[in-house]
Amino acid sequence: MAATVQLARTHLMLLLLFLILQLVSGFILDSDDYRRRVSLELNPGLNSSVPPGVSLLHIQARGASDTLHFLFCSLGAPTLLLVHTNSTSSSVKVDWPQFLSKNDSGSLQVEPKSSMLYSSALVFTRLWEYEDVNNTADPQNMPSSSFFPPYELQSFTWGDLNKTLNSTTRTAQLCGGDGNSSFSNGSLCLAISAFESVGRDHIWPRLLHNANSSQVHVWLKGVTARSNYSRFSLELQTVGSRELPSRVDVVRSIDDEYTPSIFQVSEWVSSPVNSTSPVLGYSQWKPVAYRTVAHNLEGATPCRHSSPQPMAELPPSGLVKAYFGNGYQTSGLNITFGIAGDPFYGVTNYLSWTVLVGLGSPPIDSFSPLVIVIMAVGLGTPMVLILLGGVCVCIRKRQAEPLAYEPIN
Amino acid sequence: MAEREERRNLLDEDNSLSSPVRDDSGTARPMAAICDPSRIHHRIVVLTFMCFLGFGSYFCYDNPAALQTQVLQDMNLNTSKFMQLYAWYSWPNVVLCFLGGFLLDRVFGIRLGTVIFSLFVCFGQVIFAAGAFFNAFWLMALGRFVFGIGGESLAVAQNTYAVNWFKGKEVNLVFGLQLSMARLGSTVNMNIMGWVYGRIRDLMGHTGHTTLGVTLLIASSTCIFSLLCALVLGYLDKRAERILNKEQGKTGEVIKLTDVKDFSLSLWLIFIICVAYYVAIFPFIGLGQVFFIEKFNFSPTQARAVNSIVYIISAPASPVLGFLVDKTGRNLIWVLCAVVTTLASHMMLAFTFWNPWIAMCLLGVSYSLLACALWPMVAFVVPEHQLGTAYGFMQSIQNLGLALISMAAGAILDNRGYLFLEVFFCACICLALIAIVMLYFVNYLRGGELNLSATARAKLQKSSSSDSE
Repeated sequence: MAATVQLARTHLMLLLLFLILQLVSGFILDSDDYRRRVSLELNPGLNSSVPPGVSLLHIQARGASDTLHFLFCSLGAPTLLLVHTNSTSSSVKVDWPQFLSKNDSGSLQVEPKSSMLYSSALVFTRLWEYEDVNNTADPQNMPSSSFFPPYELQSFTWGDLNKTLNSTTRTAQLCGGDGNSSFSNGSLCLAISAFESVGRDHIWPRLLHNANSSQVHVWLKGVTARSNYSRFSLELQTVGSRELPSRVDVVRSIDDEYTPSIFQVSEWVSSPVNSTSPVLGYSQWKPVAYRTVAHNLEGATPCRHSSPQPMAELPPSGLVKAYFGNGYQTSGLNITFGIAGDPFYGVTNYLSWTVLVGLGSPPIDSFSPLVIVIMAVGLGTPMVLILLGGVCVCIRKRQAEPLAYEPIN
Repeated sequence: MAEREERRNLLDEDNSLSSPVRDDSGTARPMAAICDPSRIHHRIVVLTFMCFLGFGSYFCYDNPAALQTQVLQDMNLNTSKFMQLYAWYSWPNVVLCFLGGFLLDRVFGIRLGTVIFSLFVCFGQVIFAAGAFFNAFWLMALGRFVFGIGGESLAVAQNTYAVNWFKGKEVNLVFGLQLSMARLGSTVNMNIMGWVYGRIRDLMGHTGHTTLGVTLLIASSTCIFSLLCALVLGYLDKRAERILNKEQGKTGEVIKLTDVKDFSLSLWLIFIICVAYYVAIFPFIGLGQVFFIEKFNFSPTQARAVNSIVYIISAPASPVLGFLVDKTGRNLIWVLCAVVTTLASHMMLAFTFWNPWIAMCLLGVSYSLLACALWPMVAFVVPEHQLGTAYGFMQSIQNLGLALISMAAGAILDNRGYLFLEVFFCACICLALIAIVMLYFVNYLRGGELNLSATARAKLQKSSSSDSE
């Protein structure tokens, strides 16, 4: 009996705490509670069947006055295309025979064309593997003989998005390999998540997402390394308007609550040349990868990026070729996993990295309500005590004062 | 670890020691000054051994902090397990703070006791190193436990020797020297162990738990050195006894657990300040190295240097601040200043990217100030016959706090990161702040003498002594 009372009391306390937290979080987070209605559709407008290994996921996120289209496709190198329109009724039109033949720009269109505001694509082009005999984890200053032939993701055999599509969690997962022995027991996977509103994943790095973003989680699991000293790096390319040069900003943040021990955020943004104007789109990641399936502090390994380089031609992606015509530019960079002295890939045979792709300015982390409550209570209580105590002391002094003036008999 | 030496200032007031070294020795033959126990020259030699007696234990106590990255990686630990190494050191001392004095006085005697505790320290460190060598974490924890049994009690023995040999004018200076030596041990450890590990790695050609084990085994040579000092000291003390007919030193601590029920509210508040304050210092230093690397992009060498600055500062600052507090009185205000400054420096580390040298130097000064102002306060709120119990109790719950908070700090870091950890430490300091504010008012309302200036205190003492006449 006593135990139940105790339990009920604990529950009550928790509830109270929860309510306070809700109240506080309401104050802090209400700036960004924009919601979108998200719907997922596979291979829009297709009547016949597609060749194996090709699937096109269309995520439509409708807001009050605009629509975001995310297109995720495994034709060629895996690509996430983001198109922003100012119409709530814009739609995606695919000319499938043309689209599958990979040679015609305009086979995939967002209509009406006039509603288009911004578009950019993130393409996962290559996976580099290099032999890091000296354990420096610095592929940029390494002889080319250290590099194994890169895995070209355009020639990978990808699984079917249809099987992994989950409309309630708004996620889909694409796994693939190059068909050779290295990938016989392993695969490179990309999981895409779309979001209706602001929030975070449960697993680290717990990037803050909002209704204007979607997240790609990349992991390399069970792949046989080609050397005992193998490390990997991932080549990414973005395609965007020529008027919007891209750059990588590294923003320092004092807040590592959601991604312990990581105090930086890297943001690959495209913004007009005039630096005061706002950022139109971004890819955001924390410079950390995880070497263990359970993402934790021991398994965390830092990652670095090279500076973005302009590329001569469009990346080998079916989606990019079908959507983008002239007037677009490509830039690419490498994400390098691990730093000098960190264990090699072969130790755990696992590597995982997460990137957030979205519209507008990248979301900024803020203190969690718990931190604010702790600091407020911690600093507030002594202040209150000093005030109360001071008042008490004053009152006592007042009361004591008349005594001081009593005539001495 | 560092909590123990602050008591020294008081030992010379609260002991019932044997007679000091007497000059009327029975020896007939003349001796060289350096060999004559009644001469200062000989005592300086003894002092050297006394200072190095604690060197080994101080050197090895912070080995995990100095080798944090290496321990984490080579043993494949998470932070909560790493912090258990500190918790295991503190656990035996929850009990031993009451027992150490008793064991020295009644069971072993100071000489044998010192040697036994030195042996514990040595074996503890060797077991610790073996645990690393064989990649057995439980053995490492066991090593730290054994090491803890010896460590704190050895400090009590060291103090007893000091009082025994230097009672009178020089004893405060001796305490000061021993304190500086202890800080030196910690500092040298922080800055040299990484280099030693690097050399061993180059020698063995690879990193890993064996490298770590060998490095820690090398560190244990400092403990063996301290053991030799204990043996020499025991011999010299015995010899002095023979020549000067002096008695063996006693700690004079009388611990009566039933006294606890008589402790006043003020004393409990002092306990809260002590625990809440120190748990935000030592576990933080234990975790500091990686924090400075991760948050401030320091190199490992820089990180170790900035992490040891607290110890470096407190070596010279302790005597100076001690003098200042003695001359001015008003201990409560000094403690309040120290707590507020510490809070400020923790908040700097938590919420800014300012150069951590600023925050850590502040922390070093405030930590020394708190030690000088807080520990003597106990003597003002406890009758003299209960002083031993009060100090024993204070150290005991401090060790309990350190053990629990060390584990909590590791778990918090693993799950919520450094910001949250720093906020947690800030919360601990805030608790200390609440306690000091309450203590201020309690003292004010009850007319206590905690916050009197030194002159008022002297007056009070004079009047009370004239009353009693």
